[in-house]
Amino acid sequence: MSAVQVKNLSVQFGDFFAVKDLSFSVEKGEVFGFLGANGAGKTTTIRVLCGLLLPSAGQASVCGLDVLSDAFEVKKKVGYMSQKFTLYDDLTVKENLDFTSALRKMEPEKFREQKEKLLKMIRFKSSEDILVRDLPGGIKQQVSLVAAVLHDPEIVFLDEPTAGVSPAFRQRFWKLIGGLAAEGKTVFVTTHYMDEAEQCGRIALMKSGELIALDSPQELKRNSFPDREPQEVSLEDVFIEQVEGG
Amino acid sequence: MRLRSVWAVAKKEVFHIVRDPFTLALAMGMPVIMVIFFGYAIEFNMKQISLAVFDSSKSQSSRQLQKTFVSSSYFQSLAVLSPAEAIQALDEGRAHAALLIPPAYAENLRPRSESSVQILIDGADNSSAGSILGYLGGIQQKVLSAEFGPYSEPITVQTRFLFNSELNSRWFVVPGLSAAIIAILSILLTALTVAREWENGSMELLLSTPVRPVEIILGKLLPYSVMGLVAVFFVFIMSQIVFAVPFRGNFLVYLLACLIFLSTYLAQGLLISVVTRKQQLSMQMAMLSGLLPTILLSGFIFPVEHMPRFFYYLTMILPARWFISLSRDLFLKGASLQNILPGFLALCALFVLMMVLATRKFKKDVEP
Repeated sequence: MSAVQVKNLSVQFGDFFAVKDLSFSVEKGEVFGFLGANGAGKTTTIRVLCGLLLPSAGQASVCGLDVLSDAFEVKKKVGYMSQKFTLYDDLTVKENLDFTSALRKMEPEKFREQKEKLLKMIRFKSSEDILVRDLPGGIKQQVSLVAAVLHDPEIVFLDEPTAGVSPAFRQRFWKLIGGLAAEGKTVFVTTHYMDEAEQCGRIALMKSGELIALDSPQELKRNSFPDREPQEVSLEDVFIEQVEGG
Repeated sequence: MRLRSVWAVAKKEVFHIVRDPFTLALAMGMPVIMVIFFGYAIEFNMKQISLAVFDSSKSQSSRQLQKTFVSSSYFQSLAVLSPAEAIQALDEGRAHAALLIPPAYAENLRPRSESSVQILIDGADNSSAGSILGYLGGIQQKVLSAEFGPYSEPITVQTRFLFNSELNSRWFVVPGLSAAIIAILSILLTALTVAREWENGSMELLLSTPVRPVEIILGKLLPYSVMGLVAVFFVFIMSQIVFAVPFRGNFLVYLLACLIFLSTYLAQGLLISVVTRKQQLSMQMAMLSGLLPTILLSGFIFPVEHMPRFFYYLTMILPARWFISLSRDLFLKGASLQNILPGFLALCALFVLMMVLATRKFKKDVEP
């Protein structure tokens, strides 16, 4: 069973197609990269898969559950890190995580275990009583990841998790993503950074709501530039060729 | 519905409130400021109105007339030497009214004859003018009985004001104060807090968890309901201890009315925030649709009965109009539930309407 299955998915706002006739599937334990310019339909797709938005046409299922009929069950199985909002700045780290655990209806024992494990994983050194607004940006994103996977979801959707974070923190963040995948979690991530995209198992390229390419980074390079050696081609070139040029 | 989620959202809201100086100041300071402003500043009864007096009669009767004015304690006299000087005093604002007594005042003051005096009133301030005019009738009667004895008039009008015998302005204003304070706490703060979750995108994150919309809403509204109730108790205690307004009705009925009114305004705040989704716009909408009508059109200060027809009927859609009138009935008249039933039902109807509108709109917006 695939972690995510999308078939002929369309999302329409008035006359505008945010997502048009999209089909793909993501396997369990995969790190799936979702690339595209702003407005290419990445966030809209994620919102559908998280049960936050109803598709206008087509089907989508997450962990075997249909997002149309089982949105509430889907929400239990997925973790979501939004691009717009991560943690409440005027709450402490502890209060934020307590709040998430309550919304996720976690058992206290399980919550304690998970919190300890995840904070250790991100090597969180500060006091949990620090207000989120006092955390450096990179640390805040990591704590936000902790909140997104606190309930031990099978799949986690990360919408531009490293936007506005320093390169060193971005690298650390991707180590964490690798760690989650190694645990068998499916990671569905959008990004603007090509070096990050290189670390995905497969990449979907989106343009104006449509899927224009879907493959591993190696294959994408080979297909876009058949006459060049893959190691000489950067994903940047592929992106420019496929999305902006083409 | 899970109470744990509601509780978690409520707890989070309390953290937001105590860490935001603006909200905290508004929530704690506003009731106190409102009680001071409206409890002390508003005075419809004028005392010690400066009265310019030109007495060309200079008789015992004219002195008696002046004495009657002054001894009422509503007026204090300012002697002038000519009618022109009286008018000058009015122009300069040294006097708010003038009494001109003609030379023949005393001579004409006898049975089957007519004696008159002229009163000039500064009409620029029409509420003061109204008060002054109101006092004149009483003074005329006193003068008559002083001159001709108590049975001089074929019919004497003896006025006794019921429920607020001294026409104490505070008794009129203070029972309505809860409405104004609840308008601020409930409509404004709720609209702001829910709009904030939309504006910064956290609402979506909340909805991505298996929490029901109704749990979010109840949790968000709970702290503001408590704050509103605390304000109601605060105003009630102040009304009893500081302003000595009598409370003659049933407290439980009053409390029930407060709860319904509070919930109606919470729903209105919620509706505003769902429609606007922006804090700035929510604030303006809350002011326009909540605070201003509650203070100006509800009868809190200006009686609805005296409004032009259109506005009189318009006030009927304001929950505050019904709440304030039944608050006054409960405080001053000691009305039973039966007496205030029409107002109570109107309040309930508006409550149901607002709740249905708000929850419908909210559900429609959050459900994917």
